[in-house]
Amino acid sequence: MKTLEVHFTLNNQPQTLITAAGRTLLEVIREDFGLTGAKDACSGEGECGACTVLLDGAPVNSCLVLISQVEGHRVLTIEGLAPSGQLHPIQLAFIATSAIQCGYCTPGMVLATKALLDRTPVPTDAEIQEALAGNLCRCTGYTKIISGVKLAAQEVQHGR
Amino acid sequence: MADDYQVIGKSEVRKDAALKVCGATRYIADIPLQNTFYGTLVRSPHHHARISSIEISEAMRQPDVAAILTSADIPGSKTFGSLIPDQAVLAIDEVRHIGEPVALVIAANKTSAKRASELVQVAYEPLPSVLDPVAALEPCAPRVHPGGNLLSQFNVESGDLEAGFAASDVVLDETFSAQRVAPGYMETENSVACYREGEGISVWVSSQEPFNDQKAIASVLNIPIEQVQVLITAIGGAFGGKEDSSLCILAALAAWTIKGTVKIVNNRRESFVAHPKRHPAKFRLKIGARKDGTLVALLGQIWMDTGAYASYGPAVGSLLTEMVTGPYRIPNVSIETKVAYTHSPYSGAMRGFGSPQAHFAIESCMDMLAERLGMDGAELRRVNILQPGDALPTRVKVNETALGLEPVLRSAIEARERLRQIPATPGKLSGVGFAMGMQSMGLGAKVLDNSDNRLEWLPDGKILIHLGAPDLGQGLSTVAEQITAEALGLPFDQIITAPFDTRDAPNGGVTCASRMTYLVGNAMLAGATALQTQLLAYASTLLKIPASGLKYANGKVTSPDGKQYPVSEFTSRAAECGEPIQAMASAIFPYPESSTPQHLPVGMPHVKFAFAAHVARVEVDPELGTVVVKDLVAIHDLGKVINRINAEGQIEGGVSMGIGYALYEDMILKSNGQWVDSFTEYLLPTSQDIPINLETQLLEYPEKDGPYGAKGIGEITTVPTAPAIANAVYDAVQVRVKDLPITAEKLVRGLQ
Repeated sequence: MKTLEVHFTLNNQPQTLITAAGRTLLEVIREDFGLTGAKDACSGEGECGACTVLLDGAPVNSCLVLISQVEGHRVLTIEGLAPSGQLHPIQLAFIATSAIQCGYCTPGMVLATKALLDRTPVPTDAEIQEALAGNLCRCTGYTKIISGVKLAAQEVQHGR
Repeated sequence: MADDYQVIGKSEVRKDAALKVCGATRYIADIPLQNTFYGTLVRSPHHHARISSIEISEAMRQPDVAAILTSADIPGSKTFGSLIPDQAVLAIDEVRHIGEPVALVIAANKTSAKRASELVQVAYEPLPSVLDPVAALEPCAPRVHPGGNLLSQFNVESGDLEAGFAASDVVLDETFSAQRVAPGYMETENSVACYREGEGISVWVSSQEPFNDQKAIASVLNIPIEQVQVLITAIGGAFGGKEDSSLCILAALAAWTIKGTVKIVNNRRESFVAHPKRHPAKFRLKIGARKDGTLVALLGQIWMDTGAYASYGPAVGSLLTEMVTGPYRIPNVSIETKVAYTHSPYSGAMRGFGSPQAHFAIESCMDMLAERLGMDGAELRRVNILQPGDALPTRVKVNETALGLEPVLRSAIEARERLRQIPATPGKLSGVGFAMGMQSMGLGAKVLDNSDNRLEWLPDGKILIHLGAPDLGQGLSTVAEQITAEALGLPFDQIITAPFDTRDAPNGGVTCASRMTYLVGNAMLAGATALQTQLLAYASTLLKIPASGLKYANGKVTSPDGKQYPVSEFTSRAAECGEPIQAMASAIFPYPESSTPQHLPVGMPHVKFAFAAHVARVEVDPELGTVVVKDLVAIHDLGKVINRINAEGQIEGGVSMGIGYALYEDMILKSNGQWVDSFTEYLLPTSQDIPINLETQLLEYPEKDGPYGAKGIGEITTVPTAPAIANAVYDAVQVRVKDLPITAEKLVRGLQ
């Protein structure tokens, strides 16, 4: 099988990886780096958003990104959001609003929220709904997650 | 009314929240294990076929393949089943639905397992199939099982039906149907099993019923049950769909065979076709009322499609039968429910357990009847709702359990008036509708309906709860911790829940049936009392003071002279002596023997209920037929709120699932002969499909003998949503869709 060498930044650390071509970013971060916060919940169809990571700050379904496509790019996974152990305001807001039930969709939701707030610090309800529309959740019905995004936006605005 | 509870009713933060927002929670697919093999299933492409041969030699020659198993390789029982062992672990000579497991390939990595599975050659001889429950019960229908296609039949009768219809001024005779839907949890079914030389096997499951898994695994491997350890890490949603064993049996079989560690994870397609769904059901309801709206008679005929295997089908059929009359007093009733085997993917437990189907039918009927009578739908319901002392068709009298029903209806009427004031978006037609709902708590009479758990007072004074049935992600642990904290006067953070392990926990049955808050809560209260008794007995020995002179409160023991001792002084000593202070925490569902009707089958009747109403405002695009739920008010009687924010979250999740049921979700057979089996075609509601204006109202009419008055609400949260939306759509466009889901196609056809 063809192998290739890929250089990319993963959670702010430069990485060089020699791997079989054709693997997805999701497979690589889960299997090679043990970063299992991103989940496979729709079997690589890009329908559920549980595998969301940020690629140069934009949310992507890592199950649809080939590892060759991340050459020279920055990848942020949920594990890289609070490297010092101090939770990110989005994570704190999700806890405060009980935006979590089973937790399977949560890492993807948190990262989709980060991408939204980075580009739209004060989103409207419709903007929040649109930003999360690619991330399925079966437990919460989204209401508490939307509350979490709003609270996070306030907290980020106030610099907390 | 204010109360002086310290922990009950507070929005305490679930203890797994921080790990979950960091992505650090390990679900089964995330467990790092050395030298793990992967299992892949060869599954049936046919609805129904005879297996003439299975050729594995070419697949076996592939690199990294450790073993390929068929039914012949199973050392013990070759079948399993939650209620009836009618399901083959691996197909025995015949397959009965698309997706049925035929052979299990075990290889050193996923790629090899998948490649080898494609090289297993199964020769099938296709047989005639039947996919409709009514057709399946025709005499000449292809047989799904040798005993015939009628899995179970339930008949409930009360009063005099003929006389009832004779006394009716208006009679409505309608048919309804509800579709096949999937639980749609984000984490598909999976399992890891690890062979332990000389000890047995350890199996990680994502399951609602680990003790049943343990039994099934022992039986299939033909080993003593003590040699099977079943563990849970975290569960990524369940909703009833994880009440059946299956992958854990296969993972255990694989690990046992190769004497190693094997992981099996269903992909989404497998989850759709080979794991339980909510039963599709067809209804004929004939309902008679007097001019003043009094309901007099109801005839119900129901056909349910349980698919190829029984799963929980008989129990779902039984509860559906009990729920057909909804929360109404109808004196003359005859209901017949037939649960049929077909060659469809099997159906089983899913949130509501028959009640969502039943309520779609009866609550649509109530609005139709009101229109025929020239009455307001709310007034028709007000005249007929159950009052304490009224009897259900099972002859069970509802008493205190129904105290909240009338207030729920009153709140719904208020909400309806409020939503009616909201103007429609230009170009759209607005409609407001509502529906009531009722849902039983517990498994039903004559079924073992217990909750056994264990409480341990740790050396540092904290309490460790060993739940006998797992938290599915819905927050069972938090409820148990809050009730225990309140009962012992301890802060919430002093109560923790142990990870589930069958070696550690008593058998607490299945997490299901809206029974956990009620039963586990009562168990925690009993356990807390027992712990205090033990604590004081131990303190008495140490302090040489009679236990009767010692008092426990808020983590401290007080002696007669007023001296206070922190509990840890005793619990640490007790632990050092190897006799930790611990107690069983058990409760059993109270089915009062004397007043519980005995003429009914096992699992009937239920005696305690939760009630709700959902009020929806929809906007319909009259040209496109699309429906948007703009506002929804969900009113629930919870008896007593244990955790406010999590209770709201349960309701919001149930509403969302109800919106999917009403408008989008439908696991149909496509024209290419394949079932809808992916999220591309099976549409779960997204964040854009739920109303931003979703309001939850939590009423508290205490359930007699519920813990602090609490009821279970896991299932009722989704029960009234679909009929509320159907009624709102009718209000908007005067099109009555009687077959779920309410698609644009059906509406456009109705509008023409």
